[in-house]
Amino acid sequence: MTTPQAHALPGSARRLLARLEMPLSRAFDGVHNPMHHLGALTIFFFYVALVTGIYLFIFYRTSLEGAWESVEYLTHEQWYAGGILRSLHRYASDAAVITLGLHIVREMIRSRHKGPRWFSWLTGVPLIWIVLWFGISGYWMVWDELAQYVAVGSARLMDWLPIFTDPMSRNFISNEAVSSRLFTLIAFIHLVGLPIIAVLAIWFHLLRVRRPRINPTRKLMLGSLVALLVLSVLVPVYSHPPADLDRVPLSLDIDWFYLAIFPLMSLTSEGFVWLVAGGGTLVLAALPWLPPAKKPPVAEVHLPDCTGCGFCAEDCPYGAIDMVERSDERNFKLEAKVNPDLCVSCGICTGSCPSSSPFRQRRPLTTGIEMPHFTMEDFRLQIDVAADKARGAVLVFGCDHGPRVERVAGPKTHTVSLPCVGMIPPAGIDYAMRSTGYSGVAIAGCEGCDCHHRLGDDFTRQRIERERQPGLRKRVPRERLLTVWMKTGDETRLDQKLTEFGKHLADLSGEEEQTDPQESGRREEVQ
Amino acid sequence: MRRLARHVGQLAAWTLFLVVIAAFAMGPAFSPVPEGYGELKISMAHLAERVEPCRPLTEEEQTDLPPTRRVTEVCPRGRVPTLVRVRLDGELIIDRRVKAAGWQEDGRAYLLEFEPLPAGHYELELALRDSPREEGYDMQRQFKLALEPGHSALLEIGDGDVALRLPQ
Repeated sequence: MTTPQAHALPGSARRLLARLEMPLSRAFDGVHNPMHHLGALTIFFFYVALVTGIYLFIFYRTSLEGAWESVEYLTHEQWYAGGILRSLHRYASDAAVITLGLHIVREMIRSRHKGPRWFSWLTGVPLIWIVLWFGISGYWMVWDELAQYVAVGSARLMDWLPIFTDPMSRNFISNEAVSSRLFTLIAFIHLVGLPIIAVLAIWFHLLRVRRPRINPTRKLMLGSLVALLVLSVLVPVYSHPPADLDRVPLSLDIDWFYLAIFPLMSLTSEGFVWLVAGGGTLVLAALPWLPPAKKPPVAEVHLPDCTGCGFCAEDCPYGAIDMVERSDERNFKLEAKVNPDLCVSCGICTGSCPSSSPFRQRRPLTTGIEMPHFTMEDFRLQIDVAADKARGAVLVFGCDHGPRVERVAGPKTHTVSLPCVGMIPPAGIDYAMRSTGYSGVAIAGCEGCDCHHRLGDDFTRQRIERERQPGLRKRVPRERLLTVWMKTGDETRLDQKLTEFGKHLADLSGEEEQTDPQESGRREEVQ
Repeated sequence: MRRLARHVGQLAAWTLFLVVIAAFAMGPAFSPVPEGYGELKISMAHLAERVEPCRPLTEEEQTDLPPTRRVTEVCPRGRVPTLVRVRLDGELIIDRRVKAAGWQEDGRAYLLEFEPLPAGHYELELALRDSPREEGYDMQRQFKLALEPGHSALLEIGDGDVALRLPQ
């Protein structure tokens, strides 16, 4: 069965995206798939550009004559350091545009911009502009023909807006009109102003995200850095001839990642560029509400079952739960309180609640905090409903955003799809094996570092390993538990894993007493 | 074998990443102007005449003013819009009435136009009206423009002078 959230199952675009990403997951072992770390990779490339930029600035001369010459010195005279770092600076900046673009598209396809996540989406939109300003201002600094084209183009774009009385472009009508102070100003903007604004913007972007992943995995950092270094050595960046405002550049090797708006302006008009940029920004900013979506049900607290332990508040990936002063007569200091505006309806809080135990005899079964559309009573019913066929069968818990477990349902498998596998209380696994008689339990969640709700996979792993409260009891035979982390659309492989698991369980019959649950090694596949 | 396949896959992924970057970081080349073209920049920062001329104050009017602000004449701030017409070999390429800058329209009239032109020799005519008159021009100039490919000529219209600057 699936939860009432089944409508959130991946659409064709999401399934296509997952299918396209599968080869990368195979190559990078899932956890290190670059597509799972696009935001963090963008920040990493920003760091690379920042560090290399600081080195370049040491040799940069902020004057009309010195700007181009100093960059030429770095490129040719000091090719072994300055030249390579200049290329790395450029390529890391370009890489950031690629990862940023993919990040936006990916989050949109996966509908991770809607609902309570609107804040992160909306605060991410200005970052696109900041990244572009970074690139454009950087190109000014070289003061070659490309810089001239970009400077005049930027000024013309600004002049289109009714801001300046004296057109900004008049600063570039002749070589005599350009002042050396321009380079001091641009250097300040590029090296001081924009980095500060960028850091603040990133902070805002992540403000409502608990435990944000700011850094990609070490393997990815190293891999991308080596790759960019290789490119810097093989295809070093060079400058065009020095800027000469008495001439118009006839052919320019454009950096299309940052400067595409200028050819667009040359071919159309300044107004058209503003229309595209402004209109695109407005559409992007409005996307979380286009079309208006029904708000998913939010977690509900049942005070009679809440002991104020705070596990749910600790585990909520979006900080939607606060621990506040107790409002009833029970002898606990705190109680959980859900902020409906921040709750993404993942149910991870239910999995973290120590009261979420199907062993409890209460009917209907309630717990400290749960999702109204899939309560603990529903959870227990779903396990019990197949009790008659449980013996010798496998209970498969799935995630509405991971592999579609209902596709692998069969006579020897009973499937339950949840909003997130992080919703599974460890006691639920224990209950399935001890009280219902399933021979094994499989958990099929989103691939490593790609949990739709961000931390469900991590928390589930940690609870099973007893690294996180509430932990899975020691008595649960780990060899009868299978965890599989994969993408939606990978059901064939899930089916294979379950078949192997079934054989493994069959082999285990009669051997259980000789097996030390801690040493037997839980079967885990991270793909 | 599986490990090798993974490494090959990673290498392929990074290579693709680099190819995409290399393909668009420095090209394909773009030509801002067509081959064989140059550019004519027309820049104006011109102070036009006042809408109404300055007027001397009568003694009575001066007496009414505070002693520290007692002046002998008053000048209305507004300036007339500047009419600019540029013809190239007789063809009208610019015909603009440019308002004076500022809320009170009391500043200079600014204009900046970039005209890509095929290289060649041209007769350039400038006509400018910057007074309240309804007909005729207050300033007219003619220039011979020899534009080479890739050159950017500048027609600069100042307050009282007009110059055509050609690249050296």
